[in-house]
Amino acid sequence: MPRIVREAEIDWEGTTARGSGVVRAASTGSFELQTTIAARIDVTAGKTSPEELLAAAHATCFVTSLGSELARAGTPPEHMHVHCTITMDEVEGKGHLIVASAISARVVAPGVDDAGLAKAAEDADAGCPFSALIRASATVTVDATLEGGT
Amino acid sequence: MADSTASVTWSGSLLEGGGTIERVGSGVFGGLPITWDARTGEEGGKTTPEELIAAAHASCYSMALSHGLAQGGNPPDRLETSATVSFVPGTGITKIALTVTGSVPGVDEDVFAAAAQDAVENCPVSKALAAVPEITLDARLT
Repeated sequence: MPRIVREAEIDWEGTTARGSGVVRAASTGSFELQTTIAARIDVTAGKTSPEELLAAAHATCFVTSLGSELARAGTPPEHMHVHCTITMDEVEGKGHLIVASAISARVVAPGVDDAGLAKAAEDADAGCPFSALIRASATVTVDATLEGGT
Repeated sequence: MADSTASVTWSGSLLEGGGTIERVGSGVFGGLPITWDARTGEEGGKTTPEELIAAAHASCYSMALSHGLAQGGNPPDRLETSATVSFVPGTGITKIALTVTGSVPGVDEDVFAAAAQDAVENCPVSKALAAVPEITLDARLT
C-alpha cells in the first residue's frame, strides 16, 4: 500500500495561559475548531483540546479495525458504536502525561456470540495502529458488548 | 486529571460501509463522516484517525511552545504549526513532521530553536506518541 499523508494545522495567538488557537483539518477541510488551555482542563469551556482529538482518533481507528476483524470472522457488523475516553494526569517527576485510553464498543453483528466478539475486539486492539502507538506509554482497555437481536 | 471523550458509530463492512464521529465531550464537533476510502486517499472531504492525530499533535505542540516561550519571558504574538502524519496500511503510523513559524518579539533564532525543540520533547501528545519511528521538527521565526 502507498504511504498516506494527512495534515492539520493550528494558528495560536498569544500565551498558553491567555491565548487561544484555531485547529484545522488541512488535508480535507473536514473541521475547524477553537481550542484553549482552559478547554483542556475544563470540558464545559466548549472548545476542543489535543486529548479530545486523540479520543476521536482512537475511536475512529478502533471502529475500522473491529469491523475488519468481525468481517474476517464471517460475522460482518451491521452497526457499531465506539466510545473512547482519554485520561491525562500529572505524574510526579514527569509532568502531564496521557495515562489511559479506554475503549467501549457496542456491536450489532448477526451470528457472533460473546466469545467471538471478545476475540474480534482483542484482535482489533492488536491491529489498530493508534492502539499500538499509545500502548507504549498509556494503559489501553477495551470493553465490547453485543446489542440487539443476534 | 482530565478525561476527554469521543463517540463514533459505523455501519456495514470496512470497504463498503461508513461511519460518523457522532460527538465529543466538549460538543464542539460531531457529525463528521468517515470511510476507509477517505483514510487511504481515494475519497476527499472526510476526516481520518491520522488527520485527527495531526490536529491533536499540532494543538498540543502549540500550547507547549507558547508556554515555554512565555516562561522565558518572551510570549509569542503568533505561532503557526502544521503536523503531517504518514500512515502505511499494514505497518502503521511511520512519521510525524511538525513545522512551526513563530512571531515572537525579543527572541532570536537560537532561542526560538531551543524552545521549539524543548516543546517537541515535552508536550503530552509527543510523549504519548513516542513510539512513532520518526518525529521531525522544522522551526523558524517569521
